[in-house]
Amino acid sequence: MTKPRIGTLTATAALMAGLAAPAAADTVRIGITQNDVGVDSYQTTYEQAFIDAAEERDDVETIVLDAGGDVALQINQMQDLIQQQVDAIIVWPTDGTALVPAVRNAHRQDIPVIVTNSNIAEEGMEFIAAFSGPDNIQQGASAAELMCEGLDGEGEIVQITGQPGYTTAIERQRGFEDELAEICPGIEIIATQPGDWNRERAQSVMEDFLTQYDHIDGVYAGDDNMGVGALNAAKDAGRAEGMVFVGATNFAVGYDAMAEGEYYGSIYQSPVDDARAALQTALDVLAGEDVPKLNYFETPKIDQSNMDEFDRPVF
Amino acid sequence: MVLSRLKGAGPAVARQGLLIAFIVFMIGFGLVSERFLSLDNIASVLRQSTIIGVMALGVTIVVIGGNLDLSVGSMLSFSTVLVVDLHDKVGPEIGIPMMFAATLTLGAINGFLVGVMRLNSLIVTLGMLSAIQGLILIYSGGQNVDISNQSGTWFRVFGRESFMNIAVPIWIFLSLALILHLIMSYTPFGRRVFAVGGNPTASVFSGIKRSRVVFTTYMISAFCVGVAALILGSRVMGSQNTVGQGYELLVLAAVILGGTSLLGGAGNILKTVIGVLMLGFIQNGLLLMGQPYYTQWLVTWIVIILAVWLDVAAKRGKLFSPIA
Repeated sequence: MTKPRIGTLTATAALMAGLAAPAAADTVRIGITQNDVGVDSYQTTYEQAFIDAAEERDDVETIVLDAGGDVALQINQMQDLIQQQVDAIIVWPTDGTALVPAVRNAHRQDIPVIVTNSNIAEEGMEFIAAFSGPDNIQQGASAAELMCEGLDGEGEIVQITGQPGYTTAIERQRGFEDELAEICPGIEIIATQPGDWNRERAQSVMEDFLTQYDHIDGVYAGDDNMGVGALNAAKDAGRAEGMVFVGATNFAVGYDAMAEGEYYGSIYQSPVDDARAALQTALDVLAGEDVPKLNYFETPKIDQSNMDEFDRPVF
Repeated sequence: MVLSRLKGAGPAVARQGLLIAFIVFMIGFGLVSERFLSLDNIASVLRQSTIIGVMALGVTIVVIGGNLDLSVGSMLSFSTVLVVDLHDKVGPEIGIPMMFAATLTLGAINGFLVGVMRLNSLIVTLGMLSAIQGLILIYSGGQNVDISNQSGTWFRVFGRESFMNIAVPIWIFLSLALILHLIMSYTPFGRRVFAVGGNPTASVFSGIKRSRVVFTTYMISAFCVGVAALILGSRVMGSQNTVGQGYELLVLAAVILGGTSLLGGAGNILKTVIGVLMLGFIQNGLLLMGQPYYTQWLVTWIVIILAVWLDVAAKRGKLFSPIA
C-alpha cells in the first residue's frame, strides 16, 4: 500500500516540475521599486502604465513596489528583490546618492539594474545596466528656447525650481540657466527660489517676487503645477498680462491655461512613454542586446502654436 | 504678595521678550528691504499665513489641553482634496458640508483615541498622519484634483476675494482667532481645557470630564483644518494629494513660538497669531533679501529654538538652569 503511494507522489512531483520548468525558462521576473506613487499624478499614471505594459506580454512577470519617498525603505526593497532572485530590477531613485550601495550590491549578484525617470548619482553609473527616462538637462534647455522666443530675447525673469536636492530639479535648473546664457544673453534671471513641486508654495513664492520686483517679464517653473501656481499669483495681483510663463512636464492645468492663452509653453512628457521605455530597456538588457547607458525618450516642446498635436495630459 | 508678583514677572518679561524680539526683527528687516514694511507686502504675508494660522489656532487648544496633534498636515491634504473634488461633483453647497463632516469624523477618531481611550497623543496622531495620507490615496488614486470652472464659482470667495480691501482669508483667520480666544479666556470650557492640561489628575478630582474636554479640543482642531482647507482649495483651485505634507511641523512651530507650553496648561490664542505672523515674516523677509532657501530653514530653526528656550527659561525663572 505504501509503495505505490510514494510512487504516485514522486510522479506528481516530477510532473509538476516538468510543467513548471519551461514556464520558468520563458518568463522573466522584473522587480520595480518606485519613488513615491500617489505623491503626484505623474507617478500614479506611470505605475498603472507600467503594470499595463507588463500585462500585455505573457513572458513578463512583475513585482511592483513603492518606496513612498523613503530612501531607507527603498534600500530594503532592493535587498528583498535581490533575495527573491529577480532577473532584473528597475528603480526610480528616491535619492540618487544614498541608493548607490544598494545598486552596487545588486550588480555584484549579477542582477542588472535599470534606473528609471531620475538618474542615480555619477558614482553609481558603473553599477547600472542602463538608465531610461527624460533628459532633464535637455528639457531645461528647451524651456530656455521657449522663454527666449516668448520674450524676443529680452527681459527680466524669475525662476521657481522643484524640490531642493532632487536630481530632476537640479538638472532642469542647470539646463535652463546654461542654455539661456548661451542663446539669450539679453534675458536676466533676477531671482530663483524653490517651489517644492507644490502649487501652493509656488504661488506664495511668486507673490513675494511680485512684491519684491515692480517689473517681471517672465517666469520659468520646474513643472506646470508650480507654473500654474505662479500664474494664479500674477493674475490675482493683476500683473499676468504680457508675462511669459514657461513650465515643464506639461500638466492638464498647464495645457488648459495654454489653451486660454495665459501660459506660453511647456515640455511634453508622458508618464506612459516613461513607463514603457523603462520596461522595454529592461527587456532589451535581459535579451542581451547592446543597450546604451543613457536612453532618453522624447520630450518635445509644446506651446500655444503646436498644442493641437498633443493630447491633453491625463494628470 | 510681593514675592509672588516678582515670581510672576519673570515669565512675563520672557514672554514680552519674544514680542520685543518680533518688533526688533521687523524693524531690522524693514531697514534692509524697503519693500518689507510696505502695505502690499504685509497684506501678502498675512494672506499667506492664514492657512498655517487657522490650523495653529486649533492646535493651540489641543496643546493647552496637554496633547499634541500631528495629524493636521495630512488632514489638510485630505480635506482640501475632498472639497476640491466634491466642488465639481456635487457643487460647493453640498461639497463643503460633506468635507466638514468627513474632517470632523477624523477629529472624532483622534479625540476618541486620546480622550476616551487615553492613548498617547503623539503616537495616535502620528499614526493618523500616515493613515489619513493612505485614505487620500485610496480616495483619489493619487491623481491631482482641479476645479474646472475657476473664474465662475463663488467658491473663490474663501481664498481669492477681498472685503473692505482686506483679503477674505485674513478676515476668516482673525475673526476665528478672536472667537477662539474669547472661548478660551471667558467660558467654563476654556477654563476646563487649561485645567485638564495643567493638572489632569486634579481636574478629574474637581469634577471635570476630562475625556469630553480632550475630545472637544480635537474636534475644534479638525474644524480649523476644515476652514484652512476651504482657504487653500479656493486659493489654489486644485489640490495635490500631499499638499499639507510637513505643515504639521510649521503649525507646531507657530504654536511654540506663540509661547504655548508643550507641557500643557498654558498658552494664548492671540500669541499664537503672533507666532504665525513671525514665521511668515521670517520667511518673507529672508526671501525679499534674496537669501537662498536654506538660510530660511536655518533661521526659522534658530528662532524656534530661541523661543522654546525662552519658554522654558520663563518657567524656571532664569535663563540657565544648572539643575535639570
